[in-house]
Amino acid sequence: METSLLPPEVAEAHRTFPAALAACADLDALMRLKGAYVGRDGSHASRLMEALKAAPREQKRDLGAAANTLKSQWEGGLQARQAELEQVRQRGAALAKAWDPHLPPPLPPGGALHPLTRLMDRMVDVFRPLGYHVEEGPEAETEAHNFDGLNIPQDHPARGAADTFYFKDQDGLLLRTHTSPVQVRVLNRIGRRGPDGLSELERSGGIRFLAPGRVYRKDEIDPTHSPMFHQVEGMLVGKGIGMHHLKGTLAYAMKALFGPAAEVRFRPSYFPFVEPGAEMDVRCPLCAGAGCRVCKSSGWVELLGSGLLHPNILSMAGIDPAVWSSFAFGMGVERTAMMVSQTPDLRLFFENDQRFLRTMGGLD
Amino acid sequence: MLIELNALTQELPALAGTATADLCDLLAGLGFPVDGVETQGETTVLEVDVTANRGDAQSHRSLARDLAAKLGADLRPLDHTALAEGQPMVPIRLEAGDAAPYYATAVLELGKAGSTPGAVRAFLAAMGAGAKGLPAVDASNELLHRYGHPTHAFDADKVKGGITVRFARAGETLVTLDGVQRLLTEKDLLIADDAGPIGLAGTMGGDGTKVSAGTRRVLLESAFFDPRTVRAMAHRHGLHTDASARFGRGADPGFAPVARDLLAQRLQAWSGARLQSAWAAGSLPPAGPWVALPWTMLDRVAGYPIDHGAASDHLRRLGCGLRETADGLSLQSPSWRHDLALPDDFAEEVIRLNGYERIPSVLPPLDCSPVALAPDYLKRRKLALRLANLGFFQTVTLGFTDLLEDKEGHGIGDHPELRTLKNPLGEDYSVMRGTLLRDLARIARLNLERGAREVRFFEIAPVFEAHPGRPMTETWTLGLVWGGELGGEDPLSPVRHMGEPEGQSFLIGVLKAIGVPEAAIRAFKRWRVSGWEGKDQGGWQFEIPLADIPFEAERIIPQFAPFSRFPVVERDLSLLVALGQPYDDLRGAVAAALAGVPLAELKCVDVFRHKNLPPGRQAWLLRLRFQAPDRTLTGEEVDGWMARALTAAESLGARLRG
Repeated sequence: METSLLPPEVAEAHRTFPAALAACADLDALMRLKGAYVGRDGSHASRLMEALKAAPREQKRDLGAAANTLKSQWEGGLQARQAELEQVRQRGAALAKAWDPHLPPPLPPGGALHPLTRLMDRMVDVFRPLGYHVEEGPEAETEAHNFDGLNIPQDHPARGAADTFYFKDQDGLLLRTHTSPVQVRVLNRIGRRGPDGLSELERSGGIRFLAPGRVYRKDEIDPTHSPMFHQVEGMLVGKGIGMHHLKGTLAYAMKALFGPAAEVRFRPSYFPFVEPGAEMDVRCPLCAGAGCRVCKSSGWVELLGSGLLHPNILSMAGIDPAVWSSFAFGMGVERTAMMVSQTPDLRLFFENDQRFLRTMGGLD
Repeated sequence: MLIELNALTQELPALAGTATADLCDLLAGLGFPVDGVETQGETTVLEVDVTANRGDAQSHRSLARDLAAKLGADLRPLDHTALAEGQPMVPIRLEAGDAAPYYATAVLELGKAGSTPGAVRAFLAAMGAGAKGLPAVDASNELLHRYGHPTHAFDADKVKGGITVRFARAGETLVTLDGVQRLLTEKDLLIADDAGPIGLAGTMGGDGTKVSAGTRRVLLESAFFDPRTVRAMAHRHGLHTDASARFGRGADPGFAPVARDLLAQRLQAWSGARLQSAWAAGSLPPAGPWVALPWTMLDRVAGYPIDHGAASDHLRRLGCGLRETADGLSLQSPSWRHDLALPDDFAEEVIRLNGYERIPSVLPPLDCSPVALAPDYLKRRKLALRLANLGFFQTVTLGFTDLLEDKEGHGIGDHPELRTLKNPLGEDYSVMRGTLLRDLARIARLNLERGAREVRFFEIAPVFEAHPGRPMTETWTLGLVWGGELGGEDPLSPVRHMGEPEGQSFLIGVLKAIGVPEAAIRAFKRWRVSGWEGKDQGGWQFEIPLADIPFEAERIIPQFAPFSRFPVVERDLSLLVALGQPYDDLRGAVAAALAGVPLAELKCVDVFRHKNLPPGRQAWLLRLRFQAPDRTLTGEEVDGWMARALTAAESLGARLRG
């Protein structure tokens, strides 16, 4: 065949045609190749036709013959390769049919949020519709915030070095023993009067928030104790707030957390920062009230401590207890998590064994 | 506190026939949950939880009083006739001021063959104390458990001279009843005779003056001591006794003379003791002030309208002084209720006795401005969820570490000794951590040792930083650790053992996916998990303050950006590059060469290394996707761009792989 007459790029394309044809791994690639060689516009075949048109008369015969040969070689090659690839596709389809769709798919491995995070997040989500936001404070706290501001007597045993961690050489700096100092910080903030003579509390008409977080007490690590654990504290300040509001709020929250069938009990208790004080119990999930080791045979498990905020605490923050009233509550997260999940040992939450986290964690 | 049912019923006869479970519910409803019930034969003992404010409630009589008020029943009248007080036989000197304002005493000559009655022995056994067989001691103990007022009996013939109540002088010592010699401080409140200390007031008597089988005459003590003084003393000496638990939380000063009389009466009845004289020194503290409790306040606190008659009846039965006023009540707390001072305290009593079950459940109206969740809080939650979705497990660790952390280079460069605790649980728990990575590495190793093939962990927690002269800071921090192998857990994902560099690139990819800025990734220096060398699995870690990860909290969805509806042209560029070629450099050079070109995506999709490739070379397959916003691209222009891309790659020493 006379190839010297061909345009050089077409000659080169013809030279690489067999390799290009072999490189087509699927029908899509083959169609692209077909377009490039024998397509209507911009293909090598159309370039040949243009060259033929432009060729001097004495060359037209030879060039025409060469063009025809090339085109038929290309078309033949493409056709043969197409047949091959179609066969491959059919084989592939047959294989695909033989693939059991219930074989494990290549999904990413499942991670999980920590169960304690999940419970605290859930608490926040339960209280959001009631208008609660989240407030936080430092873990290294002052005695003033952790004890004084909460009406806790100077000689209360909880202040001792046997119960509370203190920092070395840092006067009065301690690891907070509860999330309640966040209350003190917020009360001080919202009670302070701005340049307009109004406090944040007066401007907003009230406040309600949760304070989830890490707290520390000097307990040796054992199946029910840990020197670090979590609490979720809640507080509402408003006008005309009474025990009925506290009870209504806690009853709503407990049913939202533990299901509408959860049976709860509201009973008097005592904490230095509230008056009246109350605790909420839930029917023991282990024995359903029949009495067991978990509920110390009483049928009830203590869930949270609460009460109307002591008027002294409002006064200390510059908030007039004759105008404003408030309730607060606090829940131990680990204790609740253990109760809900019936986890037998507190230490499992801090050991972080993947096998535990996989079964206890989740993505919400 | 232990409560024996028969003894409780003796104080409140109306309880007879009440089922134990109902009594437990009644007590819980009054704020005294029952932690345990033990029955042996005729005797049932309840373990009752008494809160710290109710120092008065540590006896059968006082719980019976609360129950009586609740049930509207009457307490059994006290079987008490006041002793006629006579001449002091020895002087009683009160030299401790308010710490010991009143001291009642009596001297009795014991009969020949006295013994403690069987019923009292059984009662003391139920209290876990057991009878000593000495009527003076057993009667004192019985009174304590029955009425809550601690008393003491000295062997009168061993007391030298008079009784002085005073603070100790430094260096004085006393051997207490438990046989321990105690070095006293100036804060210790003492009972002393003319020769020296004979008892720690309200806490424990002295060994030298104790009553024994040979005792012929007893000198009784029934006093009132200041709660704080006793509490501190008990704490100082580690002496938490039945007496200090009661004086320390507030005994009833008004009951002091009565308890003396009851003790003397018992000795007379049980052992034919003969009273020689009874007398007292000091005076009882005056009754507390009258406090106004308006009905409106009571209704507001309770959340329901309080019945005035029932409220008054409850308060009277609790022992409160009560006068009706125009708009409420004027109230005075009884001498045994140190916890009643504010109107709120009295309001609680009314609501408590009505029963918390009477309180209606009402959600407070939403009458304040709502506040959005803080961006920092939302960021933590979203990052955690994103990482969990990327296959990472969230860890929670305690946060304590040791001073060695510093030596490992925690990267902060602060002063860990300033993060050190004064009273740690142990050396391993002595410092508040300045990094999350130590805990994460420990957890990762632990899980690998337990057979995990791959470990992906993260923790989000505050870490501490301390510098001299500055307040300690806490920084919310994200730490991650990754190690092991990828894939191999399903038929479509072949297992890939991650050598060192590949493992790091996986972690970097995760960091980019959660929005960690490139600059922070480049600046990070501590990628290798320390102590992981020699393992075939790679171990990689990263740590960053959360503040350094940008987070758009306000915008729910990004601003609309027009996107092209024209087809994408995809081209691959197979290159031979040097083994040490930095990817970002090559990618950057190609992208720069295509500036102004509608390049939609450019990335390396395959790395091939093989001995058949030229030495020092590897093959990278770059995938380029072009897409114009306004038209379909032609093959020619894409060819041209690919040629430019190749030229750019060649300028860095790459060449087309043939």
